[in-house]
Amino acid sequence: MSDAKVHEENRGDESRHDDKPARKAANKPVIECKGITRSFWRAKERVDVLSDLDLEIEEGSFDALMGPSGSGKTTLLNLIAGLDRPTAGRLLVAGTEVSAMGDAALAKWRSQTIGFVFQHFNLIPVLTALENVELPLLLTKVPASERKKRAQIALRVVGLEDRLHHRPQQLSGGQEQRVGIARAIVHDPKIIVADEPTGELDRKSADDVLNLLDKLNREFDKTILMVTHDPAAAERARVVHKLDKGRLT
Amino acid sequence: MTLTSLTVKNIGHNWLRTMLTVAGVGIAIFAFVFIRTLTGAWEAGVENAAQDRLSTMHKVTFVMPLPKRYFGEFDGSKGKIAGVQASTYLNWFGAKHPVRESEFFANLAVDTDTFFDVYREMAVPPDRLAAWKENRQGAIIGEALANQFGWKVGDEITLVGTIYPGDWKFKIEGIYTATAKSVDRAQFLFHWDYLNDSLPEQRRDQIGWIASLVDDPSRAATISQAIDDGFDGEDVQTRTMSEKAMNMEFLGGASALLGALDFVSFVILVIMMLILGNTIAMGVRERTHEYGVLLALGFRPKHIATFVLGEGVTIGLLGGGFGLLLAYPLVEKGVGRWLEENMGAWFPYFSIPPKIAVMALVLAAALAAVAALIPAWRASKLDVIDALRRLG
Ligand SMILES: Nc1ncnc2c1ncn2[C@@H]1O[C@H](COP(=O)(O)OP(=O)(O)O)[C@@H](O)[C@H]1O
Ligand SMILES: [Mg+2]
Repeated sequence: MSDAKVHEENRGDESRHDDKPARKAANKPVIECKGITRSFWRAKERVDVLSDLDLEIEEGSFDALMGPSGSGKTTLLNLIAGLDRPTAGRLLVAGTEVSAMGDAALAKWRSQTIGFVFQHFNLIPVLTALENVELPLLLTKVPASERKKRAQIALRVVGLEDRLHHRPQQLSGGQEQRVGIARAIVHDPKIIVADEPTGELDRKSADDVLNLLDKLNREFDKTILMVTHDPAAAERARVVHKLDKGRLT
Repeated sequence: MTLTSLTVKNIGHNWLRTMLTVAGVGIAIFAFVFIRTLTGAWEAGVENAAQDRLSTMHKVTFVMPLPKRYFGEFDGSKGKIAGVQASTYLNWFGAKHPVRESEFFANLAVDTDTFFDVYREMAVPPDRLAAWKENRQGAIIGEALANQFGWKVGDEITLVGTIYPGDWKFKIEGIYTATAKSVDRAQFLFHWDYLNDSLPEQRRDQIGWIASLVDDPSRAATISQAIDDGFDGEDVQTRTMSEKAMNMEFLGGASALLGALDFVSFVILVIMMLILGNTIAMGVRERTHEYGVLLALGFRPKHIATFVLGEGVTIGLLGGGFGLLLAYPLVEKGVGRWLEENMGAWFPYFSIPPKIAVMALVLAAALAAVAALIPAWRASKLDVIDALRRLG
């Protein structure tokens, strides 16, 4: 896949570059945070990790979330991905009020709507690449043969069609993360959340992964929200949100 | 891949630990099967003991002999004792193999005319039986004994006497096979006359005990009483009881031991369960992060709990299978053969009952499931965010 054309785009905070060739005029927000607060209690003391936060992300966008360590990036991402619920505020994701859903409904919603890419790849070590990618489909009614076919397609998309039966240990970090991305797209979710997806990779592998996310965004119309520390990674995003001490700056 | 195969694949996380655990479970199951087979075989010896065969012996102790003339009272043809079909008399000879003297086997001087009328569950080919009756030094031996010492028909062998000192020469004329599981297959039977004629005058015409077959086993006790009453006026009084009653009396002391052994077999399984539970819990702790990933992907706590339970049951079944794999050759071919050949009087038939094998497998799986319950429950209570934060 070619990554030549994407480089000089996208910089600056909250700056928009709607001149990408494949981009549709998509202005409808797919993620809406309205007055989100998330508090934890530490030794009877309330800590607002996120406070009264508003954020909109457009459908089909590729947004980055930056900020110092401990600023609440993962916490926000978890809320948007439906892993957690806000202490206060409303959260609408893909037309669903996530903040009002019960555990079981949320788990089901997650398995249909969200693709996860993790910093530590989080592949299951006893499973092959193909099996790892197939994992989210086990929760669907898709028959076994079809599951396998879809997993193969997803691995082809990430360029690992020749590593189907390798286990995570037999793959490089970059390859592992590409398997992780294949797992995140196999069930065709609307939104992909990635928490520091290049945090453990060398420059070359990191670029491969970023190119891949870019391709998913452009060619497969996935909305992507990526937490990152890496300025080079943030450059790929259309919008960069900066978070500090629980507030967007 | 399916949810089931995913469960099974999970045992591959730590192969060394899985294999050690399977080996541990296997050894526990092996011990269970072995103990159960042992106590079962012992009890079967009693269960299968003849209820229709009576032994009449010296009232004081079976070590003391009876006058041979007592047998005249029994003789079926004379029909003096009502209810008795056939009778025979035997002496405990107590001789040993000249070289392998520690290997015990029952050797008996028997009345060739009547022995097999009373011991009907022992079969000898008719021509061999005839040859044995012809040859005063002839012996008939059990197939297990033939295997043990490598004796064949036609072999001339010597036994070393203990109760009746000296070297005793015999020729193997036949080999009997057992048609019932209760029969000791390692006995050595020879002519009572050969023994009697070789003895000094004062030791002659004495018999160890009389064995009789009764028509109706339910009347065994009544008939026994009638026999003993018949010798009441004699100098030497008798004591008669069925083989089953005798075995039960003998086993009375052993039954507490058997009960204790059975208990121990369960204790072993419980220990196995606790160790297995700890191992599974350890695996769950190590994989907390992984369960977090699965939860994030949309798996439910019930899935996670099922994975843990399924993993436990898989290890239980593998261990159970391994235990049985150990048990069959060791118990059936090894210890079992040895016991049948060397202690055939107590363990005439030593083999793993299919019931015990199935029970061992079911128990291995069930106890493994129980062992996995607490870890499974804990895994199902994991919070997805906490689990994801926990580094794998
Ligand atoms: N479950 C929790 N319980 C208590 N404190 C938490 C929890 N999750 C996050 N925090 C705290 O919230 C802050 C933000 O965490 P996080 O969102 O992980 O930051 P980032 O991803 O930006 O580094 C940190 O100070 C962290 O300790
Ligand atoms: Mg973080």
